[in-house]
Amino acid sequence: MKMSSVRYLTKEGFKNTWANRLMSVASVGVLVACMVVIGLAILISENVKLAIGNLEKQNVVMAYMKDYSWAQYGDKSENSSGAESTTEASSEESATEEQPDARGIKSSDYVIHNEEEALALCKEIEKLDNVESVEYISGDKGLEDVKANMPEGQEKYFTFLDEEYGNPLSGAAKVKMKDMALFDVTVEKIQKLEGIDTIQSQSDLAEKITAIKNGIAIAGFWIIAILMLISLIIVSNTIRITMYSRKLEISIMKAVGATNAFIRIPFVIEGIFIGLISAILSEGVLYFCYRVATETICKTLGTTDIVKYSDMAILLFVIFAVIGILSGAIGSFIMISKYLRKEGSEFAAI
Amino acid sequence: MSEIINEIQDKPVIEFKGVSKTYKTGTHALEDVNIKINKGEFVFVVGSSGAGKSTFMKLIMREEKANTGTISVNGYNLTKIKKRNIPMLRRTMGIVFQDFRLIPKMNVFDNVAFAMHVVGASTRQIRREVTKALSAVGLGDKARSMPNELSGGEQQRVGLARALVNNPTLIIADEPTGNVDPNMSYEIVSMLTAINKQGTTVLMVTHDHDLVHYFKHRVIMLDSGKIVADNPAGGAEE
Ligand SMILES: Nc1ncnc2c1ncn2[C@@H]1O[C@H](COP(=O)(O)OP(=O)(O)OP(=O)(O)O)[C@@H](O)[C@H]1O
Ligand SMILES: [Mg+2]
Repeated sequence: MKMSSVRYLTKEGFKNTWANRLMSVASVGVLVACMVVIGLAILISENVKLAIGNLEKQNVVMAYMKDYSWAQYGDKSENSSGAESTTEASSEESATEEQPDARGIKSSDYVIHNEEEALALCKEIEKLDNVESVEYISGDKGLEDVKANMPEGQEKYFTFLDEEYGNPLSGAAKVKMKDMALFDVTVEKIQKLEGIDTIQSQSDLAEKITAIKNGIAIAGFWIIAILMLISLIIVSNTIRITMYSRKLEISIMKAVGATNAFIRIPFVIEGIFIGLISAILSEGVLYFCYRVATETICKTLGTTDIVKYSDMAILLFVIFAVIGILSGAIGSFIMISKYLRKEGSEFAAI
Repeated sequence: MSEIINEIQDKPVIEFKGVSKTYKTGTHALEDVNIKINKGEFVFVVGSSGAGKSTFMKLIMREEKANTGTISVNGYNLTKIKKRNIPMLRRTMGIVFQDFRLIPKMNVFDNVAFAMHVVGASTRQIRREVTKALSAVGLGDKARSMPNELSGGEQQRVGLARALVNNPTLIIADEPTGNVDPNMSYEIVSMLTAINKQGTTVLMVTHDHDLVHYFKHRVIMLDSGKIVADNPAGGAEE
């Protein structure tokens, strides 16, 4: 297409928007409302994701190991031979080469004998799919954590534990997973490894998190789909009004042999222009709304752990621009095409 | 004058063969119309109201489609023409409307220029051709006037300039003098006649017997969708 035509058509598009400014402003208003709601939905879901991410971080599983403490206190029902030997060992001297220690435990009674073996087991867990990270928590460290979390002043009642009878806590691998949806499978895999006793998990939390995530995805999809449809309808309606107000021009264009593409372009430009203006305004309005809302919420809840608008600004603008341009272009294209298809009375203006 | 041109021509500009048009409402607007119009002819189309004159014109502009028969216009077969070629067909003709169809918010120059803009002409070309067309209809000094500042006759001359500006080989005018006074009607047909003398074929519907008598062009008479008379140019009418 020639440069002069491009200039002419663009100018016509803007002229349409201006000539039809009341409707243009109204449709920009509705589009901005739609976009702001879409933006809020995205921001809320991002914040929920952030909160869930924090939850997920806490939702680690503890894979307890079959170590010395386990040999002493653990439930060894699957390992009957070991259980017998320990109970007997405490009462009488064993005839085997290996002498049980003061508490009557032999090294063959348990699997993980030292920190080196524990770390090796952690390495093995780390190799599994869906495992993000593994941290070794020794029994002593575990006990310290337990004490630290006790209500003040109560730990003194528990000090006897490690002094007299030894630490009852086994060492554990603190496992963080990548995808909570694969929680059960991963737990099962860890369970099968040699040297793992029990796994303490909060599988129900994992389920809840997955459900929340799915819920957000579905709700987000429908919100965006419905609002996009509304935007499309609003823009097409505005274009329809422009079109009817330009019936005379269109009839002349047809009579002198303008192609349908040429007739369409100014209207499509008008639609795109309305969409883009709406995108720019939405970005500003949403920024303002979000800042006001989060300031209040943060003050009330005393949290600072929220998604920053600046991190989302570009993504949101791209989404708004795409929604605006698409609904503008598609809406006007559909409308003008419908109009141009009408045969017979093409030259009948007014 | 035009008979001589007719004899030179071999292929007609417009040819109807067994054309019938029935509207969706069931009205038989045209029935078995056969006609040839050659290059350089000036043809008046007359007939009573509802005779099918406008329908005849609409078929030529491909605003309506014939139900049966074949129509060819300026080398396009209108029964087979592809949708995207319809604009190309229309660029070969200049259409003059009874109600002028000037865009009220544009001045005279822009109204004429509009017809060139929308077929993709360059600004330079537009300036040259519009000036030429306006002086051809005697409105060179009214280029900056708005349509509502002009008389009916002047407005129709703007319409004529717009129809001429893309240099068509065929002018289609359905009652172009229907909304102007007798003196102005005479002016407009004189202008069309002058344009015709340069070789442009002109097809004009009119109810004005005086004009038909005065100008002595070929006259096609329609009645109830049929051609009932076809008097050659020279005044042997009725
Ligand atoms: N779009 C249409 N739909 C249905 N019927 C139509 C349509 N246009 C015209 N007609 C009918 O077709 C017949 C011929 O109409 P047409 O407009 O061709 O007449 P005309 O000779 O131009 O009359 P006038 O001198 O009043 O302009 C009339 O009976 C008219 O009612
Ligand atoms: Mg008519």
